[in-house]
Parts: sequence; C-alpha cells; structure tokens
Amino acid sequence: MKQFRSMTYPYVAWITVMIVVPMLLIVLYAFTQSGNDVLTFRFTFDNFVRFVTDKIFRAVLWRSLYIAFFTTLICVLLGYPIAYAIAHLSEHGETVMILLITMPTWVNMLVRTYAWLGILKDDGVLNAFLGLFGIGPVTMLHTSFAVILGMVYNFIPFMILQIHTSLNKMDKNLLNAAADLGANNVQSFLRVTLPLSLPGVVSGITLVFLPAVSSFFIPKLLGGGQYVLVGNVIESQFLTSGDWNFGSAISMIMAVIIMLSMYFTRKIDVSVASGGKE
Amino acid sequence: MAEEAKKLIQFKNIVKSFEDGTVVLKGVSLDIYENEFVTLLGPSGCGKTTLLRILGGFLQPTEGKVLFDGEDILSVPPYKREINTVFQKYALFPHMNVYDNIAFGLTIKKEPKDVIEQKVMRMLRLVNLEGYGKRNVTELSGGQQQRIAIARALVNEPSVLLLDEPLGALDLKLRKEMQHELKSIQQEVGITFIFVTHDQEEALTMSDKIVVINAGEIQQIGTPTEIYRRPVNEFVANFIGETNIIEGVMLDDDLVMFEDKKFPCKARGFEKNEKVDIVIRPEHLDIVPRGEGMLKGVVKSQLFKGMHYDTVVETRAGTSITVKMQVSQDKPVFNAEAGEKISASGFILDVADAASLSDAKVIALASAEAWIAETEENVSIKTVDYDIKPETGEYSVTFATAAGTSITVRALVVKENRVESTVYQEEIYAMNFFKKVEDIQESIALDTDLKMWATASAWSLEDENEQVEITDVKYDFDPETITPGVYDVTFATAGYEYKVSTTRAAEEGSEVGLVFRPEDIHVMKKGGHK
Repeated sequence: MKQFRSMTYPYVAWITVMIVVPMLLIVLYAFTQSGNDVLTFRFTFDNFVRFVTDKIFRAVLWRSLYIAFFTTLICVLLGYPIAYAIAHLSEHGETVMILLITMPTWVNMLVRTYAWLGILKDDGVLNAFLGLFGIGPVTMLHTSFAVILGMVYNFIPFMILQIHTSLNKMDKNLLNAAADLGANNVQSFLRVTLPLSLPGVVSGITLVFLPAVSSFFIPKLLGGGQYVLVGNVIESQFLTSGDWNFGSAISMIMAVIIMLSMYFTRKIDVSVASGGKE
Repeated sequence: MAEEAKKLIQFKNIVKSFEDGTVVLKGVSLDIYENEFVTLLGPSGCGKTTLLRILGGFLQPTEGKVLFDGEDILSVPPYKREINTVFQKYALFPHMNVYDNIAFGLTIKKEPKDVIEQKVMRMLRLVNLEGYGKRNVTELSGGQQQRIAIARALVNEPSVLLLDEPLGALDLKLRKEMQHELKSIQQEVGITFIFVTHDQEEALTMSDKIVVINAGEIQQIGTPTEIYRRPVNEFVANFIGETNIIEGVMLDDDLVMFEDKKFPCKARGFEKNEKVDIVIRPEHLDIVPRGEGMLKGVVKSQLFKGMHYDTVVETRAGTSITVKMQVSQDKPVFNAEAGEKISASGFILDVADAASLSDAKVIALASAEAWIAETEENVSIKTVDYDIKPETGEYSVTFATAAGTSITVRALVVKENRVESTVYQEEIYAMNFFKKVEDIQESIALDTDLKMWATASAWSLEDENEQVEITDVKYDFDPETITPGVYDVTFATAGYEYKVSTTRAAEEGSEVGLVFRPEDIHVMKKGGHK
C-alpha cells in the first residue's frame, strides 16, 4: 500500500487549506481581542467569560439545546415506526416510500421552510382550515411549536433513512431464530430488532441533533425575533455586530458541545455493536 | 430403533405450492420416531428445507397434516412448539455474547437466574466450549458458532432438533469433525435429530434413517446401508455415491443379462425378460488380466486418489463417424488489367441441397468475393457458372466479375453421412468439409470448431429431439503445422464405461478384464419408484 501514499498528498493539502487552517483561525480569533492587526495578538479569555457570565447568552444556549433535544426526540418517536413499517413493505412499496421520503430534500431547505410560513401564519392555510370548524385563528408562527415543527419536518428524513438501513441490514433469520426459541412478536422486537437497530437510531440522532442545534434560518423564519438560538447569535456576531472574536468563541463552545455529544453517542454505538459488554 | 420406538412426528400427505404456481412438495408422507437421527437428503431445490420449515412452523403447507405426538400442530405458532432449529447460517444474535445467546430461550421462559446459569454451563460443556461464555459471538470461528447454535437450541430441552444444512459453511476437515460431534451429541441427549443436507456422505455417516427426496417427492426411505446397497431407482443410485448403471434384461430368477452376456445374480421377483437397470458400485468391480475378466475393456483413464485409483474402463466403444477434411490454402486471383482480386473456396453439399441451388446460395457456400486491389472496395460478382446436379460427384464452379476477373473452385456433392448404432439406439451424423489452413491454426477450441464445421451431431433413435453428446473428436494432424491436404476426423459418442475403484494400477489404453460377484449386482425395476 506504500506506493499509494503519495497519492494522498493533494487531499492532505486540500484538507489543510480548507478545514484545518480556518479552524485554527477560529481558535485564534476566539482567544484574542478585537482590533488585532495581522502580526500582534493580544490573548484573552474575555470572550468565553462574557458568554458564560451573560444570562442572555446562557439562556440562548439552553434554548438551542432544548429545542434540538425535542426535535431529535420527536424525530426518533415518529421516525422509528415509519422506518419499521417501510422495512416490512414489499420491495416495490419500499422503493416508493423511500423515494417519497427523500423527494422533499431535492427542494432547497429555505424554500420548504418559507412554505411553512404560508401554512402557519395567522391568516394562513392551516388557520383557514381550522376556521371552517369555528376554531382560531390560533397563533402558531413565532412559537417554539413552529420552530420544532420546521426542524422535525426538515430533519426527519435523515432519521428514517438511518433506522431503515439498519433494520434492512438485519438478518431476517434472526427473527425466525427468536420465534424458534420461544419469543413472541413483542419479545422478538424488544430483544432482537430494537437492539440491533440502535446503531441506526444513534447515527440518526447525530444527523438530526447536529443541524438542529446549530440551525439559524429555521428559528429566524419560523420563530421570528422571539426564538433566538445559538446559530442566530453567531450569525449576528459575524454579520451584524462585526465582533468576529466573540462569534468565534461561541462557535468554539458549540463545537466542543457537539464533539462531546458525538463522543457519547459513539460510545453508545460501540457498546451496542459489541453486545452491550465493555 | 426397536419395536418399542414410538412415532413422534407424522407428515401426512404434505403438499406445498407457492403463489407463483411452483409445487415444492407433492404429497409427502413420512413418520419419524423418537430418538432417531433422520436425514432428509436431496439436491438443492428438492423441497427438503421446505419440509423442515413446515415442521418448525415457519411455513404453512398448502395441503396435508403434521402430527406431533399424535396432535395436529399446524395451528401452533413456532414459539409454542417443542421443536428447536439450528439455522443454515446459525442466526446467532450478534448483539449478545455467547452466554446470552444460549440463555435466550430460557430468559424468554423467565426461568430463575441460577437455573439458567446451570443449564447454560452444562450446554457449554456439552459442545466443548467451556469458558467461552463472555466471548462475543462474532469473534468466534465458524465451527464454534455452529456449536453455539446447537447449544442455544438444545438448552431448551426440545424433543426434536431440526438442523438445516448446518455444516454447509464449514471447511472439509471441520465438517468431518462436526459430523462425529453431532452424532455423539445426539446419542448423549437422546432426542430426535432431523438433519437436512445435500451431501450424501454426511447422510451416510450420521443417520439412523435416510429419506431421499427429489423434485418434491420421497424416493426412498431406509438405513444408510439399505440406501447404498439397494437403491430403488436410478436417481437414488446416482445420488448416493459413485455408481455404474447398466441396462439389462432379467432372464430368470437370479439370472440377468447385460452387455449380451448372462450373469448369475441375487435377485428375485422380476418377470421373465423384464427390462431392468443394473447397479454395480465401483468398489465392487476389480481389474484383472483380460483373459480372466467377466467383461473386457480398455482403460480410458486412471486417477490416483491416495487409498485407491479411480479408473474408467470402456467395454464397448461409442457410435463413431469419420469424415474427410479438405485443407486448402486459397490465394485470391489477381487480374492486373482490371486491378481486381477475386477469392472463393471449394465447398461440399448434400444431394438434397444440390437440388435447390441459386446463384446467391452458391456465392455464400463458396464465400466468394471480389474487390478492387488498391482500395479494397467490393466489386459485385456478375456471373456464377455451375452445373451441379443432385447426384454425388465433383463439379466445378466459376465466379466472374463484369471486368472478367474470375476464379474456379471445386464443389463436392455427397450423400448424407450418418451412422446408426442399434446397441446404443442412437445415430450420429457429420459431413465432409473444406477448411483453410489459417482457420485451423487460429482455432482456440479445435474440438468444438471441428464439430461445428462438420455439423456433427448425435441423437437418440427413440426420440430424435434427444441429443446425445459427442464426447470424442479424433484426428491425426498437428493443428499448428498443418499443410493443405485431406485429413480424417472421427467423432464418437461415449460407449459403455465402468467406474472402477481399485488398488491396482493400470496403464491408460491397456486392455483389461473386469470381475464382480453375483451378490454385488443390484437389480432395479425400470423407472422404479418407492
């Protein structure tokens, strides 16, 4: 394999320029004061202290985590039964369902989120429909409900596809074996199907939680001004206030939180794959 | 298997057809007794696994009944049956360790922890995997996984264990080891094992009873020795072990005729002059000097197998036909005046074909073509001059272009060339043919090409659509260095061949005799069934 090593150099260079250097710049910005010129750096922890001590920012962080957590939870609870049902369809039905689930992702996420604006606003489609029954108008837009709805809608395909893949990979003979050994359908599901599909659930969680926690345009559109999340704060630090140092610090904090959460989900993943021992 | 053995499982006229109309089982009835090691043996797709899955409860038969201990169990779901299965690829739970896999059935039944532990430990000891409880099943070797699968099934103390080709995924050495181990486990736990396999050796080694199944029907039920020594029909004889099957006629009780000779044998209950199939196993034949043989033949091949030689002796040659191959080296004729070249080769045709000829057909037969020398642009052949009559003989054919470039070749009209053999009830056909030197030199599969060029084919006289394979193509030229001329090519079908398993070495091509004992001649009814 040694002779192939030189072929990786262009990729290493690419990764260095496009990923490692920008990351280092963010770290550099996060630990320095604003107004640096190119060569002198004034190192400081102020940016972090400011984030941790400021009540508003802590509240924003909590809100982000909380909304991402609920989004993920709903995605699991809704996505698992859907994935399970799809895995038990005929081969043809399966293909059609997978197609239907992936189809919306061919449309730009921004456009799809705008569509929800029209549905959810006070004089929107949904309220018009409720009005037929004499209900409403109910304020739905600019609530945490709208934000979570938008996120679930956008991210649930990832959850379904991950779970579906892990269910499909499962050897169907395992269920025969479980039945043979005396397990009824419920027992088979709880002891065989569910544990074996957990890796899919875990990677589904990663794929939903990460974009949910750092999303900024869904809360911006569907949450109005009310639902400022971390993503929005970072965006405004860079684009509106021009405080790149503080923005970088928040980005770093988020990166660490994400890294930690990935580390823990990986751990669950590994222990599931190795039979729960370890 | 004494008299007191009791019927544990009864299959009653089981029919299974699938939605697409294929019928996998065509009315199978079978009794299985307590403590028996029963093997369902048959080629893949014969329905043996289907039968097993019906018993396991994973499939419902289309018709028929399955009785377990005298009670109909078709409406009982798999998890309530006193039957456990070892699956083809073991189907161990990959997310559990060895201990949890084996304990699965017991935890489902909510047995107390200490009881479970005792039982699991006992099973691990039974399958020789003590101390493996904490191991991850995916880290184990195939043989170990196999044993875990057996332990996982046996721990539930079923009265029947079903094994679906359990040794298929193991290598040869391990397979032999597991055969012994399975047999000793069965003897130790003393329950019924129903074993599905397509491997006849496995079946012979382990079983108390073998059920030979083919195309959804039971062919024969018997002990390994019965099945081997007294197969009821050609299928069973061929499927179980190597064998020689010869057509013969029963002249009288204990007297059979085959290869035009009478032989004493031990067979009764046939009608006089009834046509029968004779089975002689290779190990029951021996090679002796030609003069002492009961049958005489030529050694066609001998393979060394360690303990013995696998020898093939041909007692009678197959049907053969010899044709002439005319090899030419045709150069195109060059007409310098017109700047044209023309080429054609000689050809051979049947009397029947000679009666209906046209210019186009003759051009095609001779593959005649003309072209402009410089540009290689094709020029059409304007005149074809021939006088071929539908009688055997040699004729000349001249092809010419408008510009007068011409070439003359020979055409041979011959009678159809076929040879009939009453012994084998077959006919072989081939034609003389012309060929160019380079065609022979460039051929990568000369035997096949020769068959094609000579349009050689052989068929049964009883049914013209039944093709007989031409196994021999003989010629006495070296294809690399062949020169123009006439060569003989002989095509032949396979003759009467006997497989002999012997410790005696014999030279290929040497003439030898074959001997066998009367009691080793097994006589079967024609198209025998059950």
